[in-house]
Amino acid sequence: MSPIATHDDRFENLRQELRRGSLPLAVLAALRTEHYGYTLRKTLADHGMAIDESTLYPLLRRLETQGLLVSEWREEDKRNKRFYRLSPDGNAILKQLLTEWKNIHASVEDII
Amino acid sequence: MQTATSASTSSELIERYLIAVKFWLPRDQKDEIIAELSEDLHSQIEEQQSQLGRPLARPEIEEILKRCGAPMSVGQRYLPQRSLIGPALFPIYRLVVRGLLFYYLLPWLGFWAIAALLSTTFRAAHPGLSIFSTLETWWLALTYSLFLCTLAFAILERTQTLDPLLNNWNPRTLPPVRDPNRIPRANTIIELIVSIITLDIWLQLGIFRRAFHFDAPGRGGGPLHAVDFTLSPLWPYFFWALTALSLAGIALACLNLVNPHWTRLSSTLRLGIDVYSWGLAYLVSRSSLLQSLSISGLAPTRAADLVHSVNHRMNASSIWVAVIAAVVLAFDVRRILRLDRVE
Repeated sequence: MSPIATHDDRFENLRQELRRGSLPLAVLAALRTEHYGYTLRKTLADHGMAIDESTLYPLLRRLETQGLLVSEWREEDKRNKRFYRLSPDGNAILKQLLTEWKNIHASVEDII
Repeated sequence: MQTATSASTSSELIERYLIAVKFWLPRDQKDEIIAELSEDLHSQIEEQQSQLGRPLARPEIEEILKRCGAPMSVGQRYLPQRSLIGPALFPIYRLVVRGLLFYYLLPWLGFWAIAALLSTTFRAAHPGLSIFSTLETWWLALTYSLFLCTLAFAILERTQTLDPLLNNWNPRTLPPVRDPNRIPRANTIIELIVSIITLDIWLQLGIFRRAFHFDAPGRGGGPLHAVDFTLSPLWPYFFWALTALSLAGIALACLNLVNPHWTRLSSTLRLGIDVYSWGLAYLVSRSSLLQSLSISGLAPTRAADLVHSVNHRMNASSIWVAVIAAVVLAFDVRRILRLDRVE
């Protein structure tokens, strides 16, 4: 690989960085409705926020450890699945984050 | 054409993948994480199978697993981010390692290389490839110093001992802005006093003579030994050259006292004086300065051996005089170039 990143590489790195920062917000927002991992991934992908399993599940664990999500194992279609949803704390944080997100968006729009 | 994979083969592939991932997971979460990941993979396979209307082929399952990620990197994402030396301490660690390398290990290696290339005595003592065995101590110093430095910083990182120091800082305690072209007056005054006293002693002792006599105390408080030695006929020239050097040093110190900043004039004079002084030191070291020696009670042949030994050692030291001269002159030239950049 060339030591100097190409234009595409640099764009891809910055794009990933931008999306990485938005992922927790997207996940919290999507979990206002209960989902298990696979359907959550599909929901996010359907809205243009595709995320691979090895990124999503560790993120879900971190959010749950912080008390923003609650989860439970249930059987569905003869398989055990872990269902996640937003906790009351998560809901409060989500509202604050959405306000912040809108402020950032407005600021960037203003700069642009 | 891809052949459909039986359910048992696809399960076996997934099973192998999950076992590989499990190895890297935190002990207390292994089972839960694997159950969740397994469910996700099976959901993906089922959905693709229902879309295609057939079981997936082995390469297609392999593709899903590949997309999921290498087992170690998948496992690593579930672990808290860890680093041996974190970003807060890393700049200090790098500074210390660079200091070790540039001010200790590389100069040592440089001196070794010079001795190996230029010193016939050194090469004679370590013929052929055995010369590299003299690097054993250097290699040990490199390994131990880097290991101990890394270990010390890893312990500081783990114990977070330096956190209060790094976080509780005060802008007032930051070091003042340093002017690299300023010559501290205290240094100039010390240089001036030392030069004047040395010159005075030098002239009062009459060191411009070639023949010297003094009485040295014998071993264990025994009777005094009369020591007489004569220097090379070149010595008077060296003497006056050294006297002129002292005077030039005093003149430059006076100039620096009046204007305590390096200027093009003073830095060029410094370079000239250093070229002159180190050139002189080199000539003195190679001049077989000691011509004869006699010590009461010492056989003339032994005294002649001593003369030879002293001159030989001085001659051998000329390599190091040249090396030190090169370093000093490099600093002088750098100072002039720095002034050029500022101008």
